[in-house]
Amino acid sequence: MRKTNILDVVSRKLSPFILLFGVYLVTFGHISPGGGFQGGVALASGLLLILLAQGPAVLKRTFSLEGISLVEVFGYGLFLLAGLAGFLWGVGFLSPILLPPGTIFILNIVIGAKVGAGITLICWHLFLEGEDSE
Amino acid sequence: MIALLLIALLFLVSLIGIILSKNLIRKVMALNMLNSAVIILFIFFGSLKGTHAPILVGDETDIVDPVPQALMLTAIVVGICVTALALGFIYKLYERYGTTELQEIEQQVHRNDQ
Amino acid sequence: MNRVFQGAVLLLFSFLLLASVLVEKEPKEYPKTYFLEQGTHETGAVNLVTALYLAYRAYDTLGETIVLIGAVTGVLVLVGRQK
Repeated sequence: MRKTNILDVVSRKLSPFILLFGVYLVTFGHISPGGGFQGGVALASGLLLILLAQGPAVLKRTFSLEGISLVEVFGYGLFLLAGLAGFLWGVGFLSPILLPPGTIFILNIVIGAKVGAGITLICWHLFLEGEDSE
Repeated sequence: MIALLLIALLFLVSLIGIILSKNLIRKVMALNMLNSAVIILFIFFGSLKGTHAPILVGDETDIVDPVPQALMLTAIVVGICVTALALGFIYKLYERYGTTELQEIEQQVHRNDQ
Repeated sequence: MNRVFQGAVLLLFSFLLLASVLVEKEPKEYPKTYFLEQGTHETGAVNLVTALYLAYRAYDTLGETIVLIGAVTGVLVLVGRQK
């Protein structure tokens, strides 16, 4: 894709702020509007801006494909572990615990990472069709 | 009243798009629009009573119903997954038959059968 | 003749859809008042929507993570190319 100066500069300067906004939406999910799903999609759109404007080699310098796949897969295990923590306190599976930080905070972060990694992986494979090494 | 008419119009246009389109990618995009129409309908029926967003900052007691909003969050992500898998299937069809028009694919399948 | 039949079925369906959507409904409010009173005390979240989908209905969120893993695996199988 022919690269112009505007696309190059804007994508490099804007995407850290998009990632920071996504992290803000995820971590302040239980106080202000936001939460796991919304912050996860914002994180994915920040990563996909670099992927589309600069190419996959630049994205692989900071976030490797194996790392994103590991986040996606182990997020499910972390969700189950946070649910099993309810057994230690005598309440049921996936019940909320009020000691700080509580299960809601940890579950928000897990859901945000998982949804962000999942949507990034789907769009990576659909955009690039595996043309360079997976 | 106007909002319900617009949601029904979006639903009908998406349904006509799925049935009458001859390109496969347009069918998948119409399916995604259908998903969005149903989600908007649920949230609209939840917002008829109340004036404030369901976040209890201060002493607000006149909030909108929060249950449809929480259910539709999962529905949006499931809609994304269905669209992604449908686009993957279209990619496989394109690799096998070389086109994304439905009639040309049917002609090639009939020619392979004879 | 086939086109006329299809058009008539579509028109009938659209009239039924509009009639079912435009009827005035009275929404019930029992879950809303319960979540308004007990939500912050039981879960510790001021955002009621977050308290709903992470504490009261956390099984739906668990199922949605399974759907995401299934979709990523499906796209990887269909589109991915090995060297």
